[in-house]
Amino acid sequence: MLKQLFAFLLVIYCFLLCDTAFAAVKKTPARLQKDSSTVVVKGFNDKALNKYHSSESFNYEGPGLSEPSAWDRFWAWFWNTLFRKVGGPVIGNILKYGFVALAIGLLVFIIFKLTGMDGMRLWQGQVRKANLAYTESLENIHEIDFDTELEKAIALHNYRLAVRLLYLKCLKQLNDEELIRWQIDKTNSIYVYELNDPSLRQAFLLLTRQFEYVWYGGFTVDGDAFKSINQLFQNFKKQLA
Amino acid sequence: MENEFFEQRTDMSKLSKAVEQIKATLATIIVGQHDSIDLLVAGILADGHILIEGVPGVAKTLTAKLISKAIDAQYSRIQFTPDLMPSDILGTSVFNPKSTEFEFKRGPIFGNIILIDEINRAPAKTQSALFEVMEERQITIDGHSYKMQEPFTVLATQNPVEQEGTYRLPEAQLDRFLFKIEIKYPTLEEEIAIITRQHQQKTTDQLSHIQPVLTAADIIELRQQVKALHVEAKLLEFTAKIVFESRNHKSLYLGGSPRASLAMINAAKALAAISGRDFVTPEDIIYVAAPVLRHRIMLTPDKEMEGVSPDDVIAQIIQKIEVPR
Repeated sequence: MLKQLFAFLLVIYCFLLCDTAFAAVKKTPARLQKDSSTVVVKGFNDKALNKYHSSESFNYEGPGLSEPSAWDRFWAWFWNTLFRKVGGPVIGNILKYGFVALAIGLLVFIIFKLTGMDGMRLWQGQVRKANLAYTESLENIHEIDFDTELEKAIALHNYRLAVRLLYLKCLKQLNDEELIRWQIDKTNSIYVYELNDPSLRQAFLLLTRQFEYVWYGGFTVDGDAFKSINQLFQNFKKQLA
Repeated sequence: MENEFFEQRTDMSKLSKAVEQIKATLATIIVGQHDSIDLLVAGILADGHILIEGVPGVAKTLTAKLISKAIDAQYSRIQFTPDLMPSDILGTSVFNPKSTEFEFKRGPIFGNIILIDEINRAPAKTQSALFEVMEERQITIDGHSYKMQEPFTVLATQNPVEQEGTYRLPEAQLDRFLFKIEIKYPTLEEEIAIITRQHQQKTTDQLSHIQPVLTAADIIELRQQVKALHVEAKLLEFTAKIVFESRNHKSLYLGGSPRASLAMINAAKALAAISGRDFVTPEDIIYVAAPVLRHRIMLTPDKEMEGVSPDDVIAQIIQKIEVPR
């Protein structure tokens, strides 16, 4: 306790000692300095002021803001007068937003029509189905006189063409019997799978193989080979009948 | 395919055997995905690069690794990341203090089968490093060209661009891929088979038992055989018509390039070879049309918004063209 009291007195003594030391410093009085320079009074440039006064940018009370234009007046009438008068403040607001939604819908519809997009599919998540805009077949199997053409091809020893004609004739027969549906984009395998009768399918598969070897494979066909292939086609014709 | 009226003009036995072996090897690990595997094998036989796309977890990388394991050739893998640099792929010149000369240190692109995993995780700057090597089978660094060893095939995997952290590959690079194979989710039965197979597996490394069935030399030989297959002139015309139509289709703003036509013919030849034929049929061309064209064509923005897929447009194009017969 005594120690703490002694420390306190010591701090007070030190403080007083410092204060006395500062008081001992001699203070000199402040002297007022006189400014003898000439004062030039500056004023606003009247020309510049007039320029700003006449400028539209600084005209805050111009007629443009205080008086609405004819366009603004039309919209004010359209929104407030028309809708509010028709249905009152509540129904008028509903009508107003309904009109905005209708306008947006119309705009979207026009965009879809102009760009050719199908808007419904955006929401349905469906993909567009292929448009079956077929080009005209270069060779319509329904218009070929197969018997005459076959005779010609055999006479010219063009057995490759003859096999092709036999195959096309076969496709025509199947189409006429409504066992397949002839379409220009269908491959031979598709026709094979369209046949429901397994024995008929197997026989037609064999014919298809012969045709593919000759027509796509570039294999040469001599008279004997053609005779055998022709026999297969005739057998198939009988099977079909 | 046997035919009693015509003698076999090409010996396809080695090719057929090789294809069967590869398919059998893949079937030991991969369940289903038969079409994808056919296309993968066709792509390799057609000397093309293959892009495999699918959502995470459908065994894209595993399939590519399996293919590379089945072929006894120098295999290299590059994991594409956003910070990958072209020099990390191609290689770089390093100063040798002993010889006081710069020496070229080859990058991982030097190999026969290159697996680029997650290719669309790297930006266009890195992708451009692959342009020259994918088309010309060489790289040029510091004015010096380095030829790649044959066979050189890039198998790349990627997630669809809608996935987080992916970039759209440059069109010029996409055009260099022969196929884009889309790997779909397995069917319920296939998924059950996958789980059962994994459950019964004793080892953690499922590729440890895979043995190579073909060498690099075999691949080169088979490719030459495929190249020599017969294609009828009408089928070349049919292919050209498909690609040409893609350039004039209203749903597309970018159609197929002439490289796409070449790719279709090469791929159709490979597919015919897989089927055991030494000639191409229209079906081969139609079959490869979608995987060859789907990454090369670009839909117009409105069609993309409508949800039309490139495959739909390709189907529309084919439907309009008469099958040569």
